Amino acid sequence: MSNRLVVIGLDCVTPQLLYGDWLEEMPHIRRLMSGGYSGNLISTIPPITVPAWMSMMTSHDPGMLGCYGFRNRKSYEYEDLYITNSNHIEAKTVWNHLSRHRLRSILLGVPLTYPPKPLNGILVSSFLAPGKDVDFTYPPEYKATLEEVVGGDYIIDVKNFRTTHKERLRDQIYAMTERRFKAYRHMLTTEDWDFAMMVEMGPDRIHHGFWRYGDSEHRLYEQGNPYQDVIHDYYLYLDQEIGRTLETLPDDVSVIVVSDHGAKGMKGGICINEFLIKNDFLKLKSYPKEPTRLRPHMIDWPKTKVWGEGGYYARMFMNVEDREPQGTIPSREYDSFRRDLKQMIQSIPDSHGEPIGTKVFLPEEVYRKCKNIPPDLIVYLGDLDWRSAGTVGHRKIHIFENDTGPDDANHAQEGIFIWHNHPKLGTGGDNKVSIYDVAPSILDFYSIPIPDEMVGTPLHHA
Amino acid sequence: MNDKVTIKIPRRLYAKIQQLITDSGFNSATDFIVYVLRDVLSEKPDDSSSEFSAEELKALKQKLRNLGYLD
Repeated sequence: MSNRLVVIGLDCVTPQLLYGDWLEEMPHIRRLMSGGYSGNLISTIPPITVPAWMSMMTSHDPGMLGCYGFRNRKSYEYEDLYITNSNHIEAKTVWNHLSRHRLRSILLGVPLTYPPKPLNGILVSSFLAPGKDVDFTYPPEYKATLEEVVGGDYIIDVKNFRTTHKERLRDQIYAMTERRFKAYRHMLTTEDWDFAMMVEMGPDRIHHGFWRYGDSEHRLYEQGNPYQDVIHDYYLYLDQEIGRTLETLPDDVSVIVVSDHGAKGMKGGICINEFLIKNDFLKLKSYPKEPTRLRPHMIDWPKTKVWGEGGYYARMFMNVEDREPQGTIPSREYDSFRRDLKQMIQSIPDSHGEPIGTKVFLPEEVYRKCKNIPPDLIVYLGDLDWRSAGTVGHRKIHIFENDTGPDDANHAQEGIFIWHNHPKLGTGGDNKVSIYDVAPSILDFYSIPIPDEMVGTPLHHA
Repeated sequence: MNDKVTIKIPRRLYAKIQQLITDSGFNSATDFIVYVLRDVLSEKPDDSSSEFSAEELKALKQKLRNLGYLD
């Protein structure tokens, strides 16, 4: 069997769709599964693109990476946040280890690889590059090759999926995916490589943009709508692109198809800061007349104990004495306050007063260590059935239109994992694969010793 | 601002590196040296090299908002 491995990363591809009824119509995925080891991938807490792919490729949890999301606190000042990039990641990736062992990698679109760093191979970074006018490839000249290969316009990412121009969005996602796979096939067939990995963002964008149209359980679903089959057709299209890519490879190449997290319908938004205001934990200098993004200057800090951030999950930050500039929670009460707050958040009901099963995590209980500044609490509202809306001015806690534009899907904890042609793993479905076991399994595939600092262990045949 | 410095290394070592990187993925001896040093030092970059410019940051924040990651 070949000692080369190809990874096809599909951001957000979700098990209930890939392994459900549509599988019948996806011959290439079916073939990979029947000759391989497959199941669900258990993602990071939180299951978000950043840090998930980087956790997968380093076998470090978000706390060990010191990367808790796209934005992280630089200090305990109220406004001191930075957007994470590859320079903030100290942990070694799979391709760092491979480079050290003189193995060559080609990487296309793996999140959190911008700015690109030298490696033994080629790297095209991902959607966190500010644009195409910067050097987003290594070597920098590869940018021109990329443009040439795809016929002039390599699309790093769609500009905005929160749009009502649905046809345009769908066309843009297809164009992006088509060009990414085309570029990948070019790299696979023209370069020398031992390890190859691409990540396509299209599935994530299409889920967020079109979920309501295909999910009959979604409260905004309308039977017979023109976009009913958009996600279905796109999954079939992905299968074709995977098939075309596999055709360019010898049969004995090892192949992983993997996503970083799954997706599920979004029931609505919970205005986490409205909840805090209602419970006197958060005080604004003046309450806005219309929904407004919460900014630090709007907050009456000496009267505030907690504030929250929005997104697919919520992050809670506590205003602690001798820690934040105008802290109000005495340090000795930090822990008890935090546990009480956890209970309160867990008991937020839906708009009818029914329980929703919110999960609240303490960073030090879910991460091996907490580098940099973690949030005080990590919250899955309704176990991610609800998103966190950070805006204020709604005068209510539950909202049913997204505060930042149409978006009908949330992230789910489990993604997909298929490993075809693994010399030892054999075949079989329904496995549960920890995201942390992927990097050590890849090193093990190349017979490279697993570094002690990796959290996971190589997958083995049960 | 030029954020790079020049460092002198023995010519023989340089020649050896050039030989080593032939047919490897490294673009130049400099890239290889930077890679090895980062690998050895587990580089913790200083703030200036980690930060986006103000303009880039504004564009990125907007992008992340559009993509639902920030609000």
